[in-house]
Amino acid sequence: MPDSPPERATTADDLAEWADGLAERLGASVISTEFATVRIAVARDRWVDTLRAARDDEGLPFFSWLSAIDWAKETAVGEGPAEPEDLVERYEVLCRLSSVRDASGAHFVAEIPKDDAWIDSIVPVWGGAEWHEREAHEMFGIDFRGNPNLTHLYLPDAFEGHPLRKSYPLLSREVKPWPGTVDVEDMPAVEGPSTENPEA
Amino acid sequence: MTSPELMHRSEVAVSVELQTPDMTLNIGPQHPSTHGVLRLVARVDGERIRDVEPVIGYMHRGYEKLAEVRTYAQITALVNRIDWVAGFANEIAFIRAVETLAGIEPTERAQWIRLILSELARISSHLVFMSSYPLELGATTPLFHALRERERVLDLIEGATGGRFHPNFNRVGGVKPAAGGGSTQKKVSSDLPAGFFAGTKLAMDNVLAVCDDIDNLVTGNELIKARTVGVGVIPGDKAIEYGLSGPNLRASGVGFDLRKHEFILPYDEVEFDVAVAEGGDCYDRYVVRLDEIRQSVRIVLQAIDKVPSGPLQAKVPRILKVPQGQAYVRNENPKGEFGYYVISEGGRMPYRLKIRSTSFSNLSILPWILKDQLVPDLVAIMGSLDFVLGDVDR
Repeated sequence: MPDSPPERATTADDLAEWADGLAERLGASVISTEFATVRIAVARDRWVDTLRAARDDEGLPFFSWLSAIDWAKETAVGEGPAEPEDLVERYEVLCRLSSVRDASGAHFVAEIPKDDAWIDSIVPVWGGAEWHEREAHEMFGIDFRGNPNLTHLYLPDAFEGHPLRKSYPLLSREVKPWPGTVDVEDMPAVEGPSTENPEA
Repeated sequence: MTSPELMHRSEVAVSVELQTPDMTLNIGPQHPSTHGVLRLVARVDGERIRDVEPVIGYMHRGYEKLAEVRTYAQITALVNRIDWVAGFANEIAFIRAVETLAGIEPTERAQWIRLILSELARISSHLVFMSSYPLELGATTPLFHALRERERVLDLIEGATGGRFHPNFNRVGGVKPAAGGGSTQKKVSSDLPAGFFAGTKLAMDNVLAVCDDIDNLVTGNELIKARTVGVGVIPGDKAIEYGLSGPNLRASGVGFDLRKHEFILPYDEVEFDVAVAEGGDCYDRYVVRLDEIRQSVRIVLQAIDKVPSGPLQAKVPRILKVPQGQAYVRNENPKGEFGYYVISEGGRMPYRLKIRSTSFSNLSILPWILKDQLVPDLVAIMGSLDFVLGDVDR
């Protein structure tokens, strides 16, 4: 196992080459293929067309999931971004499409500004996207234009706020602060005699 | 008799249907067939369902937010609670995603132990389906057979990990030294309890026997067939459109199994067949799962002979900081594709964790599949999708 790349049958170079070709044909650009995770940047106004072309022409028909990321300099809870000074505050909408013949798949990423947070709905292309868009809508406050039923999915109807935004506090942490490093457990030792049980 | 007026009247008499006002039928949130707390609001016209609106979120626990304030080691305790019927399998994709980002290669022995326990989780999950689905159709007997063997499989998981439902057994770089194995002295611990492999082989024989029992009780049963054959047909392209995966996808003729394509566990070194059926109806979804139990037994028996000796745990820093990066790793869980999109900004906790849970997508087809079906088929169709509400609501 350690001799071959464990994540995919193809090598990292093969994957990068495949992603470059895919992005070029779709008129998009590759962000990264690190960690066997292909990310392709798509302009917001070409979102639906690009995804439809990926389904029809590129053999990626399987709608896996859609979600979003809130890139913020400051976070109410948790650890912030690595370089907050250089960060451009924005939302990213991610959609993963994949093949049902081999391991290939790609994440399509559209950046949208925080003060104008909308994107076109892909429900006309994948009916299964409705719930995913509703979740991203309530969690991040992004408007999916054209989604036929953009109501709360998980949250109660009267719920206010968008919990997965980085500015949204976590009530349990307000009530009781996290104890911190004392909670980090020791990793078991590696050196010494084998831990194997001969009777197993 | 041939006057236009009379013609008109007779046509009217023939074409008028009995108009019944639509009625709203509320099912759940507390209902035995919902596997948790799911509410369906159906608009029915007589016995015909016109449309149905699933109301979910009763079990929403906000894991994606909770993960942002926890270290990677703490998150494994959360994620095995997503699909609690197969708790062990949920940990795999997450821990492999963290290992990928951190550049840590787990030890070979740990990988094989993970594989065996994953397959045991698959068997126990499918045995729950083998007990609950016939029960929902009115057959009580299979439940006793299936749950008896499932309990023995859970005993094995509990023996190795210490947890029956929530193992929390995976560590970055390997697995935890097992509970109850060997000496209790400090610093000396054994990985698997004494007799684990012998016990597993015995349990696998029993699982195969119970598969035959279920075959006899259910597979050829006329009543079960009348309720399921040709009911709730999902064509392959619809399954793909709604992101259905696992047995639900394979029952629709799409023979896609991640275990044959992405080797986050050493599935490339064991032989097994992918169970596929063509019909896409409730019966096929049952048949595929029954076949998968037998395939999992095959995998476990091969894996027992292949588990190498060696350490359980790779060398990992005491405080794990994961380098900046984004990785998506998915695993073939008992219910289908289960993935984690992990974004690390270089700290001890993820910046964002997106959980692609299987039942969420599998259930999202419900409004489409239940449209224009009969009310008595509702439970048969819902049960055949084999969802768990913890996996839907996260």
